[in-house]
Amino acid sequence: MVRPGVARPAFVRFRLPNGLRVLLAPQPESPSASVWVWYRVGSKNEWPGVTGASHWVEHMLFEGSPRYGKGAIDRAVVSVGGELNAFTDTDFTAYFTTVPREHLDVPLDIESDRMTRALITDEEVGRERTVIHSEREGNENWPEFRVEEELYQLAFRVHPYRWDALGRRSDIESLTPAQLREYYQRFYGPRNAVLVVSGGFDPRPVARDIRRRFSRLPAAGDDVAVPDVEPEARGERRAELSGPGTTPYLQIGWRAPALDDPATPATLLLDTILGGEARLFSPSSGWGRAGEHPSARLYRALVDPGLAVRATSEWRPRVYPGLFTIQAQAARGVSLDRLEEAIHRLLTRFARTGPTTTEMEDVRAKIRHGAALAYEGATRTGFRLGYFSVLRSPEFEDELYRALLAVRPREIAERARATFRPEARVVVRYTPTDEVPDG
Amino acid sequence: MGETANPLRVEYAGDLEGLTVVRQAAPSGAASCSLTYVGPAGWGYESAERAGIARLVNQLATAAAGPYDRIALARRLDRVGATVSFQTAPESAEVTLWGPADEWEALLRVLAEMVLRPRFDPEDIERVRRQAFERSLRETTQPASRADKELLRAIFPEGHPYRSTGIGEATSLRRVRRADLERFHRDHYSSGGALLVVTGPARASAVVAAARGHFEEFGARDAPKLRVPVVRPPGPRVERSIDLPGRAQVELRMGGSSIARGAPEYPAAYLANEVLGGRPLLSRLFQRVRERGGLAYHASSALEAMRFGGFWAAHAGTGADRWRRVVPMVRSEIARIASQTVPPAELNRIRESAIGQLPLLLESTSEAHELAVDLAYHGLPSDYWITWPATLRAISGRAVREAAATAIDPAGAVTVLAGPLRRRP
Repeated sequence: MVRPGVARPAFVRFRLPNGLRVLLAPQPESPSASVWVWYRVGSKNEWPGVTGASHWVEHMLFEGSPRYGKGAIDRAVVSVGGELNAFTDTDFTAYFTTVPREHLDVPLDIESDRMTRALITDEEVGRERTVIHSEREGNENWPEFRVEEELYQLAFRVHPYRWDALGRRSDIESLTPAQLREYYQRFYGPRNAVLVVSGGFDPRPVARDIRRRFSRLPAAGDDVAVPDVEPEARGERRAELSGPGTTPYLQIGWRAPALDDPATPATLLLDTILGGEARLFSPSSGWGRAGEHPSARLYRALVDPGLAVRATSEWRPRVYPGLFTIQAQAARGVSLDRLEEAIHRLLTRFARTGPTTTEMEDVRAKIRHGAALAYEGATRTGFRLGYFSVLRSPEFEDELYRALLAVRPREIAERARATFRPEARVVVRYTPTDEVPDG
Repeated sequence: MGETANPLRVEYAGDLEGLTVVRQAAPSGAASCSLTYVGPAGWGYESAERAGIARLVNQLATAAAGPYDRIALARRLDRVGATVSFQTAPESAEVTLWGPADEWEALLRVLAEMVLRPRFDPEDIERVRRQAFERSLRETTQPASRADKELLRAIFPEGHPYRSTGIGEATSLRRVRRADLERFHRDHYSSGGALLVVTGPARASAVVAAARGHFEEFGARDAPKLRVPVVRPPGPRVERSIDLPGRAQVELRMGGSSIARGAPEYPAAYLANEVLGGRPLLSRLFQRVRERGGLAYHASSALEAMRFGGFWAAHAGTGADRWRRVVPMVRSEIARIASQTVPPAELNRIRESAIGQLPLLLESTSEAHELAVDLAYHGLPSDYWITWPATLRAISGRAVREAAATAIDPAGAVTVLAGPLRRRP
């Protein structure tokens, strides 16, 4: 039997005078403890010339702060068996450290030290430049990355969602240490952060410890709204790319609502029914069917009949209106024209008929089970609590869950009609140039 | 915590006609269960003419089985909140189901269908074949996968199970017929030498009883034999360069053949690899190539110790203008680990990191389950993970150096570079 509702552990929250929001989710039996710090800064806060700054600052926060010289953060955490990492998105940057529970003080000390006092020296910025180039080059080896970067560049002319969080090559080349320090000083600080601690700990002493360490930090960090509003698209946009590889590939994007739009629940279900992935309510992250969803519409329409070897959809809720995308990799001998036409036919039919009763039952079951199983372990708990908090609040997950289960088939069909408009479509196609051996 | 409730203690619960049943308690507070079947069905058992068949069978078993066609099976799993994954390796093939803890027996029934009665529906065969063909093309054209493939081909001789990545080639994939799939399945999915590992709330006796019911058709035949040719050193400094124009990054691999998991020096070799490049952030390769050199985003190493042998490999991805500086750095670190004793402070840091990591591996059912599958596959003692810290603490710096000289032998190392190697206007 599935327990109804979101299986989130109980948590306490408080706010420090300097603006830091704190959430503590004790899980007494957990052998580990996880510390997450989420900043409301991402590539949405950048501008031409400093694209990639959020991601670069993320790297620099591992390279030195007053109590932790270069490499000391890694040593302090990994030496006790812990793991740490960080990631930069369009809307936020998140840092996490999970340690055996008896070492919880280690990540708390690190985060309090680097929240406003990261050093970002000229020397380390210089060294990191080639590392970031290398990270970007690793992505560029994949046609999918090239296509997606082009898709967003084509879809957005004004809004910062136009560039990837890695930043443009030319900006990686030219960004200066002073610019990075200025960026960090502007956006990083307690006022713009959410601190989440989850796992095996007693909340009272940990709350005291957090107040002691973080209260003395200045009330820094701006949460800046993006003033640029992307104008309505007035016609289809299209690009043809070519490059290394052997499989023709395409991505199609349509403008989609922002996170706080009333259409969010229906859009999420539209994505799940077309692509199969339950996204925010996926029952298992990193332990799934690796993108294979044979009962999903796109799979049945494109992969089953041999038009594609892979096909899926994606919509990630963002602070500002983003893109709903469909990606497909053509099967051998199938032209991108034919593949695109099949996608168009599928979407037209779906917009007319909407989901079936079986699809609605399937998708609701996925959401229910996803909500019931998503909080296993301290690390995932810290991730989910922080993710929903940095976007809105922990309770947003409950609101969304209830709204998802209340969506009617008619609303999904309406959403499909509103989304898949030809004049709002952006298409990027990739034609590989490598010779394909006979087969 | 009682012993049977400790996920670090894995119970050998019973043996059903060649199917060893293993049970592990889920981590405290976990709401999920994991079930894995592991059989002697890896690509080491396939012929060169049908290369890729082991992976095809493994994937098809998870696609449609018994009463469920591919859509019915996907819905059956979705309706209970479960997911399926498969993993094919040189020696074995795995099918894993993950889902709500109270559905463990229903999932065991589905797992038995997948293992014993895959349907091999014609449209599924063609779909999976198309996907395999695309994977084989990618393997040739993507720098990372091409470098991995070439490394194994340079290390292992023709006919060796570890020489391949199991994906197959266009010609061999095209040759596979339904009868071939059924034959491979019959010979490798219900014979001796298989394992069933269940992590969840059920007691060992309940797991054995349920397994007996659902796997009653399991055959009592002997486990198939895997032919493992002798690996000879490749000769002095073998280097392979594959120029792939138009790509952005060069992938470097250095590696060689290595020891089996059951070798007595494995724990020391494990530590040697952790010092070299296995331990994230602390390892020498990461520190030298990324942190001090600023030359690559990733630099690491891995020791793949399997039942009949293994291989080690150092990895780095770097720019077309930087790989010439990275190659000697990686080479010198490999030589150092095999020739110089690791300083006590460094060894201690790495060792305590490896030991301290154990609680983190018990965060979720799926992570704990991987420990149990690993232990059971290699036939290790039930308390192997409980005694693992003491085992590591007993290893000296000298033992690490000696193990490295055997398991990460720089003299037998092969170097592979794949990517945009030549400067172009």
